[in-house]
Parts: sequence; C-alpha cells; structure tokens
Amino acid sequence: MERDEIANALRAHIVERYAVPEGDPDFNDDVHLFDYGYVDSFGAVDLISYVQETFSVEVAQADLIAYSLNTVNEIASFTALRQRGEL
Amino acid sequence: MGNLVVNLDSGSTEYFEQVRYALTFLSEDVVSYEINEATLQLTVELRPGTDMYLVGTRVAQLLERYKPGEFGMKSVVYFDQRRELPVIDAWAGLLERRWATQVGEGHVILRGLAAQLFALVDHKICSVFAKEFGAEAEVFPSTIKSETLQRCNHFTSFPEHMDFVAHLKQDLDVLSGFSASCRSQGWSPSLHEGKMNQHDFAICPSCCYHAYEGMAGWALDNPGRCITAILSCHRYEGANHKSLSRLRCFNMREVIWVGQPSWVIANRARAEVLMHEWAKDWELSCVFRASNDPFFTDDFAVKASFQRQQEAKRELRVDIPFDGNNISIFSSNFHAATFGNAFGITVGGRSAVSGCVGWGCERWVFALLSQFGFEPGNWPRGLKRDFNAFAERISH
Repeated sequence: MERDEIANALRAHIVERYAVPEGDPDFNDDVHLFDYGYVDSFGAVDLISYVQETFSVEVAQADLIAYSLNTVNEIASFTALRQRGEL
Repeated sequence: MGNLVVNLDSGSTEYFEQVRYALTFLSEDVVSYEINEATLQLTVELRPGTDMYLVGTRVAQLLERYKPGEFGMKSVVYFDQRRELPVIDAWAGLLERRWATQVGEGHVILRGLAAQLFALVDHKICSVFAKEFGAEAEVFPSTIKSETLQRCNHFTSFPEHMDFVAHLKQDLDVLSGFSASCRSQGWSPSLHEGKMNQHDFAICPSCCYHAYEGMAGWALDNPGRCITAILSCHRYEGANHKSLSRLRCFNMREVIWVGQPSWVIANRARAEVLMHEWAKDWELSCVFRASNDPFFTDDFAVKASFQRQQEAKRELRVDIPFDGNNISIFSSNFHAATFGNAFGITVGGRSAVSGCVGWGCERWVFALLSQFGFEPGNWPRGLKRDFNAFAERISH
C-alpha cells in the first residue's frame, strides 16, 4: 500500500472514530493528534490497534518510544516503511 | 511477626522507587518493608497471623505492574544544573528552631524563616508567572465533590491517596450520642462507626480540578483563559510521609491555561523558560526532565509510557543531599482535551485543551533550606536579593 493511501485511510478513520467536526480548521495531516486533543491516551492504544489490523503491520510498544507517531503523516510514513520492511 | 522475602529481577533505580512508593499500599498487615538493591531482595515484615500467600500474590502483582516490560520509558532532560552542596539536615534544623511542628501524620505547621520562604515562593510565582500570563486569580474550596473527581478520572488513576470527607448523620440521636460519648469517654475513631453520612466530598488532591469544574459548559473566547490559584491539597501516602518532602496536607500554587491548543502549548513552554531562569538565578542544584505520575492501577505501564512519550509531564527535581535523593518542586503538565471533554468546555467550536504548571510550596521551603541552610547571608545572590526585597516589602 502506498503511503498516501495509508494516510487517506487513516485520516478517514480518525475523523469518523474520534468525531472530528467537518471543516475543523485545525485538523490536517500534520496536526499533533494528541496535543490538539483529537485522540487521548485511551484513543492512542485504540489507534495503534487499528493501524496493526488494517495495514497488517506490527507496532511494538518500543516503536512508540523510538519513533514520533503523533500526526497522520508520521503514522502513515512509519506504516509504509514498516510494510516494506524498511523499519 | 513473619518476614516475607522476595527475590527481585534487576531493574533501574526508577523501577525500585516506583515499587518502594507503592508498597505502602499493599496491605494493612504490612509492618515495614525494605528493598535491598544490592542483593535484589525485598523483605516485607508482616503482622502475626497474616496470610503470607495472599501478601506474596499482591507483591507479585505490584512488581508486575511497575515492570517496564516492552513499553520502556522515554527519558528526556531539558536542563541539568548541578552544583556542589553542603549536607544539611533541614528537617532536624526546622524542628530544632521550632520553625516546623508536626501536628499529625504528614501535617506540619510552619513558622519563622520557613513561613517567610513559603510566602516568598508564592509571591515570586504571582509576581513573575501570574503577571506574565495575565492570570486571573480564583479562590477554590478545599474540598471537592467525589463526582467531580470521577469525571476527572482521578479515582481510576490515584485511588490510594484519596482523603474523603463525611459528616455525622443529620439525626438528633446520632449527634447527641456522639457528643455524649466524647464527653464521657473521649473521642475515638470507633465512635464514628455507623454514624456517618455517605461520603460525597473529598479533600482536593490537586489544585486545578476546580478550575475545570468551574467552567463546565462554558464556550471560551479565543484564545482561552489563564487562571491562578493556591490550594491546600491532601494526598494520603501511608509510610511515604516524610518531613516536608511528602506531606499529607500541602499547598500547591498553580497557573492553569484552558483554551486553544497552540496557545496552551506556547504558554506552557514560556512558563518552563521562566522556571529555568528562576532556577538559574537562585542557583538551584536540579534537573528538569520528562516524568510520569505514579498511577496506582494495573494499567500503570500504558498510562506512564504514554505520558512520557508525549512529554505530557515535566518535573523540576532538586537535589536533597542529606537524603541522597531528589524531589519534584515544580511540574509542567499538558492534559490535551481530557478536561475540556469531561466538562464540556469549548473554544472556537471544539473542545478546549488544558495545561498547568504547579509549585509545591512546602517542598520549595524544604529544598531551599536543604541546599542552602538557615543563614540567609550565605544564600545564593539571587535568592538573597529576592528574600531581602520581599522582607522589605512586607515590613512596610
């Protein structure tokens, strides 16, 4: 799966799952999902599960320490690289 | 009495600290406990007749809870300024001079130089931080509805340190009987049995909850509100209560922001810069680093790891040479939309985010006296300057 496809799917999931209002001026692919309150600590665990199941990648807890996974773009890039075995 | 001895896996000092802190809440049958980091053994002294198997199971549960496992804890140091310090037993010095009197477990009265330093620290926060951010002063009650703490998810993170409040039943026989018993036999806890109303309030465990509760349902003007308050907070800490460094009743001054994410984040960052300047000016031997709360639940690893990863909590920890340890005297916290969501506070049509910085006033007093001693003439230049200016100000 291409990185952009992953980002599109991820963005759509976040908008639906975390009820991001339509036309929210702050929401974009580079917004910090946690700092801006779109996803909380419980949601983070849920979001990681979604990424693992949907894109068939392994996300270890250690990855959360090693990589910055706070925005749609960061998570999409990480996922694409992991799918290709480059991470 | 019997001893339960448990072999421990090797671990970091931080891991042992977490376990040591939590052990006091293991069981009321525990008399004492000790972790020997050299031999990797935990010894728990138990009351006679205690079910050792049960206590052993609980020990295993706690050890598992705090095991870093695969989660890991992100470690970030923002600044580190260490200096050579004398070894001063500040607590003994305070007691000897009668500038501190312990009036109960974790309850201390301060006077003299200790009270002056307390007032100085609070004045410094108000004149530097509250002024910088245009913080609006609020006055909070010392107790808080348990229902509010539930909305703050406090009970699911820190059930162990709650001090609940209850009153005698509104019943003439109960009230007269209680009073008569106190008169005839003196007060004792057993006189309360069956006579108390249900606990609907608790003593505030933290300063900022009232701020969010007070704004429930508000739509804030952009970019948000900044508030300051000082509150006498309570946290029951069992065997961990110690000198002024871990009190059951302590004062916390906070500056709190509720509003737009970028505004809250920028203000929190600015407050940290101001705190760094203050620490340099007073020549504190300290480190400012990412931290986590001592969540007392089985999901400790998930919560603490996430908090560390997001750098949601940062602490200024000052060295206490006499104890060979350090204590946190300032914390900087970012809650994202947790409280905005819990209390329906919005800004610009969406949930407001919040952040706060807090100072433990009694710990500041303890840290300053532990590092610099009881003679103001020997203190670092910046501290001496502020102390003298403040003394001059209040004398007029």
